Amino acid sequence: MRWSITKSGAAVIAVGLAAAACGSSGTGAATGHAPLVLAGVVAFTGSSDFEAQNNEGGLYPAIYAINKAGGVLGHKLVYKAVDTKADPADALPAMQQAMATTSNLVLVAGPDTASAPALVPVLNSAKIPMTAVAGESVYNTNTLPYFWRLFPPDSANGTAMALWAQRKGYTRVAAVFGTDSGSQGDLPGVLASLKALNIKVVANVSLTPDQPTYSSSVRQVMASHPQVIMTESDATTAGTFFGELKQLGGLVPIIGTEATFTAPWLKAVGGVLGSSFGSDYSALITAPSQPTAATTAYQQAVKAVKSTEPTPWQSYLSNPFSITYWDGVMVVALAMNAAHSTDPAVFNKFIPQVANPGPGKTVVYTYAQGVAALKAGKQIQYIGATGLIDFNQYHNSFGDQEAVASNGSAQPKELGAVTAKQIEAVPVKGVA
Amino acid sequence: MGTLLSAIAFGLILASVIAIAGMGFTLQFGLTNVLNLSFGAVMTVGGFAAYLARDHGVSAWYGLAIGGAVGAVVTLAIGRGLFRLYARRGAQLLEMIMVTLGLGLVINYAIQAISRNNIYQFNVLQSAPLHLGAVTITPTQAILIGIAVVVFVGLEAVLRLTKIGTALRAMAAEPSLARSCGIRTGRVVIITWLLSGFLCGMAGVVYIINSQSVGYATGELFLPLVIAAALLGGAGSPAGAVAAAIVMGVVTEVVSAYGGPQFSTAAGFGILVLVLICRPRAVLGDRGRETRLTL
Repeated sequence: MRWSITKSGAAVIAVGLAAAACGSSGTGAATGHAPLVLAGVVAFTGSSDFEAQNNEGGLYPAIYAINKAGGVLGHKLVYKAVDTKADPADALPAMQQAMATTSNLVLVAGPDTASAPALVPVLNSAKIPMTAVAGESVYNTNTLPYFWRLFPPDSANGTAMALWAQRKGYTRVAAVFGTDSGSQGDLPGVLASLKALNIKVVANVSLTPDQPTYSSSVRQVMASHPQVIMTESDATTAGTFFGELKQLGGLVPIIGTEATFTAPWLKAVGGVLGSSFGSDYSALITAPSQPTAATTAYQQAVKAVKSTEPTPWQSYLSNPFSITYWDGVMVVALAMNAAHSTDPAVFNKFIPQVANPGPGKTVVYTYAQGVAALKAGKQIQYIGATGLIDFNQYHNSFGDQEAVASNGSAQPKELGAVTAKQIEAVPVKGVA
Repeated sequence: MGTLLSAIAFGLILASVIAIAGMGFTLQFGLTNVLNLSFGAVMTVGGFAAYLARDHGVSAWYGLAIGGAVGAVVTLAIGRGLFRLYARRGAQLLEMIMVTLGLGLVINYAIQAISRNNIYQFNVLQSAPLHLGAVTITPTQAILIGIAVVVFVGLEAVLRLTKIGTALRAMAAEPSLARSCGIRTGRVVIITWLLSGFLCGMAGVVYIINSQSVGYATGELFLPLVIAAALLGGAGSPAGAVAAAIVMGVVTEVVSAYGGPQFSTAAGFGILVLVLICRPRAVLGDRGRETRLTL
């Protein structure tokens, strides 16, 4: 009897271990032709839910384009949504659940700014590559191998805004930022850059999201007599604030962060400002790439999946976040091809190899071109829809910024460029 | 001084939005004893109804009546349909709170799915601001204060000068006695759902007129202030809800003006905490109020 119990116990343990092995997240090489999972790890609900639209806006076309080109090493790509709710407390269990239940998770498109502190170390430990949109300057000197950022840090965006304000001759600025973590992440860079350029901050107003009125804040801004407002907040908050500002006669030009150049924000603020929006609003965004085969491929893919894109689908033709997500997927997919492996532990180090410039490399603009070149035994440099991608030692890649206005349909109207060199030349202090 | 006067004026504007919703909430809670946490979701439904009406060419001001009507119908359907069903199956006060919480989430997420997370603009009156000494407000805000006053006076008139109003007050004060006096309680409850639902839907429209936009979480985010006003003013007392709304609106805006807007919400919730400290039985009924569900 004793022997029997021991044997039964051993059998149960063995079955349990086998089941655990089968059920655990597959971050190793995918077997057979099982689909590879790209997880969008951003806020799908709550006041930052626009992040999901940016994410889907870039990933759906990328998945379409890659699958149309035959997939990655015989595997199709599929999308999985992981809702962080822009809150680390919600993000961590959601991500852990996704990791525990998802096989062949090869890329996290995210995480967002708010959940990055909780998720980045976890994802790195699990050896899952991530193309983060977290703008915090702490990642400027990132040393985690699975963290990649194709996006400028918040501080760079803030410096570009300050430089643009200086170029326009503004000397009195009101900073109006939401209290949400995404908006607050940009604020230190803006303030430090304005200080470095000797531009006076006459008001620094924080907006708690989704209040029924911001009349007191509007009054505070108006009383400080700014020449320009620098801003970032969620769309609803911005719509209410700027609507009241206009109605109370205090509207001055607005310079927004990159995060303001998204369809919900443009729609909300454009709706309340009406005809003056085109002339009063500008934003500093990652400089759109000159038209190349990469931008054409991106736009064709967006059009091909327009029925599944968030509305309005046209806005994703030029949405800087979506375009960056697209490039992140392309680079990772090409890295898998270059490594002949879908195992992140193997292909992760190939990411800069397929993107960064180098002698003798064949320049490719699309996934299909990249796969063909790799099959021909060539080394490749993928130039994306965002333009040149050149990861530094900290896994960051970002280039010039551009001041743009909105033409009413979320398409950027170029006003002027702020180069990466100009941004680097500003002696910003106090931003980690 | 100018800052204080402006803050008080902005507080009255905020109070006008809270007050209309608070009157509806307190009427409903005072008579049925249902602490209806789906109230905010129905506000959103009312707001969207007005938005859709305006999108089809109807004046935004008529949207107040349309939002109110939709709120009334939805609230009646919820109250007489869902809540009564649960009550018949033995749900008590706390169970019913959970039902209303769940219902609110269902409505919110349904609106989120249908609206695809979009935020819709609701601009009403774009005209020059009114300068009243140190205070500057928009004509729309002035009209909203007027609407709140009219609604309050109208509701008080209905409650005090009509037969149905007397029946409503009797039911709110002592349901069993009201029943024994021959008041047709079922009819009174239906009227309560309709009236409170109308105010709820109308409050949603007033809210979006003021904030100039409507989204799936519009009413839900506003609900804590509404509940706080209803509890602070005393369940079943529209006058109390209005007074509480004024206190909350002014405190919120004064804190915002002097302490920073990031503290205004905390001040609003602080009042709710104080209410519950001072009147810990405000939620479950006090002063011997009957606390059984009246559905």
